Amino acid sequence: MVHTMGRLSVRWLLSELPKLETEGVVDAATAKRLRDHYGDQTSGSGRRLVVAIFAVFGGLLIGGGIILLLAHNWDAFGRGTRAAIALAPLAAAQLLVGWVLLTKWHSTAWREGSATLLALVVAASVALVDQTYHTGGDLESFLWRWCLLLAPLPWLLNSTAVGMLFLASLTWWAGAARVEGSQVLIMWPLAAAVVPHLVHLLRSDKRGLRAANLQWVVALFLCVAAGVGLDHRVPGLWMVIYVGLFALMITLGAAGRRDEDGLWRRPFEAVGVLGSIIVWLILSFEEVWSNVGWNHIRSSEAFQELVPWVDIVVAVVLPLGAIAAMAFLLDRRRHRLPFLWGLSVPVMAVVWPIAASADAVWPGVVAFNLLLFVVGLATLAEGVRRQNLAVVNLGMLVVALLVVVRFFDSEFGFIFKGVAFILVGIGFLAANVVLSRSLGTAGEEAE
Amino acid sequence: MKRHLGLAVFVIVALVQLAVAGGAIVKSELALRTGEAFRFRIQPVDPVDAFRGRYVAIRFAVDRAFVAEGAEVRPRKHIFVPVIKGADGFASLGKAVVEQPPAGAYLRLRAGVVTPDEDGNQQVWLTMPFRRFYMDEDKAPEAERAVWGGRRGRREASVSVRIRHGVGVIEELYIDDVPIHRWLAENAEER
Repeated sequence: MVHTMGRLSVRWLLSELPKLETEGVVDAATAKRLRDHYGDQTSGSGRRLVVAIFAVFGGLLIGGGIILLLAHNWDAFGRGTRAAIALAPLAAAQLLVGWVLLTKWHSTAWREGSATLLALVVAASVALVDQTYHTGGDLESFLWRWCLLLAPLPWLLNSTAVGMLFLASLTWWAGAARVEGSQVLIMWPLAAAVVPHLVHLLRSDKRGLRAANLQWVVALFLCVAAGVGLDHRVPGLWMVIYVGLFALMITLGAAGRRDEDGLWRRPFEAVGVLGSIIVWLILSFEEVWSNVGWNHIRSSEAFQELVPWVDIVVAVVLPLGAIAAMAFLLDRRRHRLPFLWGLSVPVMAVVWPIAASADAVWPGVVAFNLLLFVVGLATLAEGVRRQNLAVVNLGMLVVALLVVVRFFDSEFGFIFKGVAFILVGIGFLAANVVLSRSLGTAGEEAE
Repeated sequence: MKRHLGLAVFVIVALVQLAVAGGAIVKSELALRTGEAFRFRIQPVDPVDAFRGRYVAIRFAVDRAFVAEGAEVRPRKHIFVPVIKGADGFASLGKAVVEQPPAGAYLRLRAGVVTPDEDGNQQVWLTMPFRRFYMDEDKAPEAERAVWGGRRGRREASVSVRIRHGVGVIEELYIDDVPIHRWLAENAEER
């Protein structure tokens, strides 16, 4: 009950009770019953949450401390002692997790805390063996072995903290491997190891904090992985991939939430909107549109045969997926904004082939400048219609960023630029003052 | 019922984790105890690893091998490179092959890029599996200074490696033929 209503709503209701009581809307007995019903649950769940967070940080600190202690490289111990030190904490952490699985399965704090500890102790053990025998190769190879050993844990231990740790280390590995020039396509199937846990969380406690946290990490992982995990052999294909990815994130995020959810519980929308703004701004520059498409494929031995095909499949599937999701999941009246932001997909579908086949720079530049302007203004208008200051400001931010970028880009004089900046700034402030006043009066009228 | 299944799977995962750490120990111990000893010339520098602390990064003086006639060596594929003791006591590499050699010491490595030398002989570039010598965090930088800071220019550095069934494990780092820990202790005042 508390989960579906949201903790914030309950807190608000409880804070309203004294007023409702004095005004005679509810009697003292009802107020007490409400307090008893919600009060216990919220304070209890709040305490449980704090305990769980402390447990995870406890696991992180202890595990991290063990890693640091071992990183000192204790020359004084012989090989046998060091081998024992490598295996003993691992076995101990495993026994702890086994005990938690048997007796404390329903305690989030125990599960998350012990799982986090185990994840780090695995790293410490592998590291110590590497140190003792001077084996194990580069950081890349170490991170890879750690990821493989972590992969089953999020699902098996129902641990979000380890899921986040796993995706973070996998991203780190992919980055390190790309620097070394290795192939990292395998990260995708491995990353799928968190999917069962994610599905489990979304089914059991969709509005919970753990689901939100994991979705943040997944969203950020996808952003980085789309850049690092693909080959990008066809120049400019990244534009199609990122525009499709962010539109899909916005759509799925918007379809799956309720209107009253706070920003922290809307990770896909937040990352999608922010990512869209950044990518569109980049695409509004001339430079990125030159040498785009299949006529400029780089050929060198370092590239492997399979990989460009994966790129192309992703570049087709993501935008199509975004369109399909918009068509089937969104409600035309309720989800005006996601539809608006999804405009980038059809725009890209028209502009990219032109840029690639005709080697033309200007269609892309014009299209994305226009898109930023139109989406910014339309978002602003939608915010005014809904009387939502945050949406208004988002629209203004988009327009303002476009103006700023264009003025730095162009060859107008400083006086012109300065005056333009001041005008945009004044516009921002004035719009906010006017809107917050009208929102205030609207609020008073409603009361 | 479902929880018992989960526990059973966890036990398997835990055993795999132990086996990965323990297997590396066994493999290395076997090479160190029963492997044949070789000495490689190296050039060290001193970096840090976020997880494993300080080490002396080792660049081998020999970092490529000729490809044996008819051997189809391709980048990223596994190859076998014989290790030969030279007249000066230091190791050198024989010709790389793709089949496991029936006798003699060899290393199982991943092939790098294959390029012809001036005479048109095919050469394969190698990344040695033992590229790091982990040391106490205070001593690793000293070891690096020891190699580069000699009065008569650079001192000679080498590592002894034990090789068994294609697996090579570093045994010791030497400076001017003296094990690094003894060298650091003996030359404490000089630094």
